[in-house]
Amino acid sequence: MRKSFYLDLATSGLRMPVGTDLVLHEHPDADLVMEDGRRLGLVMETTARRYGTPLALSLMDLRLEKRDLLRLLGNVDADVDTFHFQEAPSEDQVAQVRALSAAPFAKRNQAHLDAVRYVAKETDLTAVGMAIGPFSLMTKLMADPITAIAMAGAGLEPDDDPGILMAHRCLALAEAAIARSLAAQIEAGAHAIMLCEPAANRVYLSPKQIEAGSDIFERFVLEPNLRLRRQLADAQVDLIFHDCGELTDSMVKEFATRLSPSVLSLGSSRQLWKDAQLVPKDIVLFGNLPTKSFYSDAVMPEEKVESLTRELIARMQETGHPHILGSECDVLHVPEAAGRISRKVDVMLSCAKRAPAPAT
Amino acid sequence: MIEDALGRAVLNGDSKGAIAATEAALAAGVDAGELIRGSMIPAMDEVGRLFQCEEYFVPELLLASRAMKGALALLQPLLARSGAQPTGRVVIGTVKGDLHDIGKNLVASLLEGGGFEVHDLGADVAPEAFLAAAEQWQADIVALSALLTVTMPSMRNTIEAFRRAGARDKVKIIVGGAPVTRQYADEIGADGYSQDASAAVELARALVGRN
Repeated sequence: MRKSFYLDLATSGLRMPVGTDLVLHEHPDADLVMEDGRRLGLVMETTARRYGTPLALSLMDLRLEKRDLLRLLGNVDADVDTFHFQEAPSEDQVAQVRALSAAPFAKRNQAHLDAVRYVAKETDLTAVGMAIGPFSLMTKLMADPITAIAMAGAGLEPDDDPGILMAHRCLALAEAAIARSLAAQIEAGAHAIMLCEPAANRVYLSPKQIEAGSDIFERFVLEPNLRLRRQLADAQVDLIFHDCGELTDSMVKEFATRLSPSVLSLGSSRQLWKDAQLVPKDIVLFGNLPTKSFYSDAVMPEEKVESLTRELIARMQETGHPHILGSECDVLHVPEAAGRISRKVDVMLSCAKRAPAPAT
Repeated sequence: MIEDALGRAVLNGDSKGAIAATEAALAAGVDAGELIRGSMIPAMDEVGRLFQCEEYFVPELLLASRAMKGALALLQPLLARSGAQPTGRVVIGTVKGDLHDIGKNLVASLLEGGGFEVHDLGADVAPEAFLAAAEQWQADIVALSALLTVTMPSMRNTIEAFRRAGARDKVKIIVGGAPVTRQYADEIGADGYSQDASAAVELARALVGRN
């Protein structure tokens, strides 16, 4: 993987939001744009050029793989947002999804791929695909994933409780669907994939159980992500690993040292300058301004955005760790706060500009 | 210190142990209400305390809630027959447009463990549904949850719906969820704001005058 590319971007002082959703919603027909690969690709391109970055990020639509999975299982009428398995998927269903890895995609999913293809083939930008991570997708397939994982963490086995069996089978389905998504995005020309695991955090996985020796983090999070990482590495596609959830130091360290992404993107609950001590210096840290609060001037006035930006820059410079300043996650469009959010993104990107460090 | 068998089972998230301890206690003639007041509520309060000081996390809360519900399933029919009154009645849900329910489920579980009668409306709940449920169940408290900034306005809309219906003074409305702040709660006219599940129980008790 091309870690040097991202290290050079960090050295150059790059700042960028995950801003595709903001630009998408400048279109009054955003819903139609999402189903048109070329127009969606233009949104990716516009976003990258507006924010002065060579990285053209796909829309962070973490429903795509679930939508595709349900379609592969024949649940075409299922509501993507609310569907949960009522009992553990069967081994046959898991085999079915694996066997359909080359099946055509539905319109919305195809538009996502075509957008990547547009950027890769028709621009000079780096096309960055997007996918939900296997643990996070598993949680979306179950009504109560936390209890199931907690029981596994307490030492119970799939034979002991149907919830644990369901978690294992849903994880297998999730991994198969994501592997298919990654293969298609790679084929479309993605140079990097942002793999998003927002649920792989201490809400879903008990730090108390992990500290006591439970292997739930290894079994449910790291193992499937390591397999997907290998898939990317085999195709020479870079991994940008994103987790904006509340994490323990141990989780951050494991993500960095075991998955060895080119870029590790973290949420605002982390102090990146402290995480710099946990993460090897060949991994760029991305983030982590609290952009989820940008909708509110009461909670996050522009002055605070500026002061937080200045603090983050100064502290990261002190660590000497490669850093690309950015948003803690996808900066979502909020209709009644669009201008407010945009202004704060601009503040984040422009204040306290420093000269790039000399190349080493 | 939780020393009784039921309390320890709840504290340890041991569903089977909680059910066994409840059956044994009932067989020994212990009153159902006393089991709730003397064992379950103190155990769930301790769970809440451990959560607030970060010795327990959400998974431990859910395991304890599961154990508590196993015991409650045995006790509630007995309570109903005896005419015992809950600490208060709560209608809870995630507001319209929002499908997130982890926080809401936690609050619901802890409120139940705290002796409240809880009516969980689920997620994506319209203001009219909150209104109807509050009337149907004679709720003391309506608890609104939102996890997205774009759905927080539904909290305001729900409070407005109660106001328009002339029902605002009949209930206390509390709000919570990751993007919600005390400032926002005050701005929209909520009666209370809770930043986490165990604080929600304390708030609910205070609002019904049972702290």
